[in-house]
Amino acid sequence: MFRKVLIANRGEIAVRVMRTLREMGIGSVAVYSDADRTSMHVRMADEAEHIGPAPSAESYLRIDRILDAARKHGAEAIHPGYGFLSENADFAAACEDAGLVFIGPSAHSIRAMGSKTAARQTAIAAGTPVVPGTDHGVTAAEARDFARQHGYPILLKAVAGGGGKGMRRVDREADLNAAFRDAASEAERSFKNPEIYVECLIEKPRHIEIQLLGDRHGNMIHLGERECSIQRRHQKVMEECPSALVALHPEMRQAMGEAAIRAARAAGYYNAGTVEFLVDRERRFYFLEMNTRLQVEHPVTELATGLDLVKLQLEIAAGGRLPFTQQDVAFRGWALECRIYAEDPFNGFLPYPGKLTRLTRPLGPGVRLDGCVYDGWTVPMEYDPLLAKLAVWAGTREEATARMIRALREYDVGGIRTNIGFFRQILEDPEFRGGRLHTAFIDEFFARHQPPDPPPDFAAVAALAAALHTASRNGQPQSPEAARNSWRDLGRSELLR
Amino acid sequence: MKFYTVLNGRPGRIEILAPAPECRFRIDGEPELAAHVEQPEPGVYSVLMDGRSYEARVEETPNGLVVVIDGFRFETEIADPRRWVPASAGRAGTGVQSVAAPMPGKVVRVLVAPGDNVTAGQGIAVVEAMKMQNEMKATRPGRVLTVTAREGATVAAGDVLATIE
Repeated sequence: MFRKVLIANRGEIAVRVMRTLREMGIGSVAVYSDADRTSMHVRMADEAEHIGPAPSAESYLRIDRILDAARKHGAEAIHPGYGFLSENADFAAACEDAGLVFIGPSAHSIRAMGSKTAARQTAIAAGTPVVPGTDHGVTAAEARDFARQHGYPILLKAVAGGGGKGMRRVDREADLNAAFRDAASEAERSFKNPEIYVECLIEKPRHIEIQLLGDRHGNMIHLGERECSIQRRHQKVMEECPSALVALHPEMRQAMGEAAIRAARAAGYYNAGTVEFLVDRERRFYFLEMNTRLQVEHPVTELATGLDLVKLQLEIAAGGRLPFTQQDVAFRGWALECRIYAEDPFNGFLPYPGKLTRLTRPLGPGVRLDGCVYDGWTVPMEYDPLLAKLAVWAGTREEATARMIRALREYDVGGIRTNIGFFRQILEDPEFRGGRLHTAFIDEFFARHQPPDPPPDFAAVAALAAALHTASRNGQPQSPEAARNSWRDLGRSELLR
Repeated sequence: MKFYTVLNGRPGRIEILAPAPECRFRIDGEPELAAHVEQPEPGVYSVLMDGRSYEARVEETPNGLVVVIDGFRFETEIADPRRWVPASAGRAGTGVQSVAAPMPGKVVRVLVAPGDNVTAGQGIAVVEAMKMQNEMKATRPGRVLTVTAREGATVAAGDVLATIE
């Protein structure tokens, strides 16, 4: 096993990887930009190296600087996390050339699967069903011709993309050129590649994906599905394992699992990866893409299977064999995850960077929190606003839902807006409770949803707290400690006036 | 001690008759209420009233206080009647609308110039924060008076990008 591993990432995933490294007795090396000197992953690492200014193109995407950091600190392997360079075949190749182990698949597999159009070819060759679309980057005019042939709506997507960046839905020809320009410019900034491809849009599909795990000795298994249909701006915000649909139709797990393994084998895949499928209302599934890395939402699989995917990734990267077979993988209970973002869900999900002034974390039975925040941290505006992933485990979907609501009620983040309250409203929604999910769920939720009115006694308590707080503030206490002790006295002196 | 309040847009008043912890108060001339109030953490008020336990979290923002109780958010303006000028008083009435950045970020594109006529919903500027591009739009039709947004410039939340008459 490795003695020291560099994590070429930041935020909650860097912290997540470090936790397993520490449990395995492996040293960790963090890298950081100017914006992240005081971020959690730097504070938590055994060693840390500065790699450049805040923009990711000048730091977290700089292969040369990351490799220099690995050499300087004597790391033997690099964990890429997700995002940034995790699906960059050149980076994987550069690691191997530098004598470092890339904790992930081979550069060849990333090329075969990392680009969405190449992945489609691989899937088609493997006999895995795909959604109709172009199999290469197109011009705006070619996208128009495709839409004239197949009909609207269509979806424009970044060839090098992921996470909804550089993706646009187009409903009519009049909107095509503007959407194409925006998608290409966003793709250029996010991935240094402006190429756009186009495909038919399946209305209201479910998003269900299969977690795969393969070693370098030809063994490959699946770890079941995750349902990630609750999305905003084409980005997942809530995930669960198992899927409510698959739980009703258990034969789907095997069929999708086998289709996913076929596609991955065709790419010579090893290490952890995920094959994403869209599932239509007739329960037909279509290969969407393969993520050749660890997924954001991997904790729900870990909770339902009892496995540590990062540990397995490290063992596979070190040359080990899968320590179990498909038959040994058991699923227990139900896991749910909410992605806690610094954003305002009731104002178009606008990002909300800023300083955290207060933080209370949920605790108690069945709760797992993967985060990177602390009281007093300023959420940088340069990166994705993911603060933490709150996951729960319980015996049934109903119990997991109740547990998640309980945990969200304990969760308090002050100073910035978050989507914590929004998740509570979704979890109370009858459509969610009934497991009737699809990727347009949030849009429809907003259309039908009336935010609950606060109980009448809450307004009285709010007025009281605001009045007492104002009374103490008008006395301008010197320090938080003084504020704490003097507000009561100030209230008294005000009364005596 | 009396305060005027605006809670989520609804005006009212509160009179504190006895201070914390054995607090007595009256809202809008209603019968007197009693509550036991402690502040276990800065800005966090534990309120026991009629046998129920409430936790009110108070945050200071440029537009007033935000009080959160069990996930319910109360945007409040509150002041001692001797000094009060409600912030919401100056917002309506004038013929000029400001298009402001709702969050800190970077201006990636300016879509209008002074003198342009714009329609409601027309894009004024594109601001990027956390890798997300957001188009700031005119809320009603008019003519662009000034454009303060500059491409490439960093803006803070509330910074005016353009004004429209």
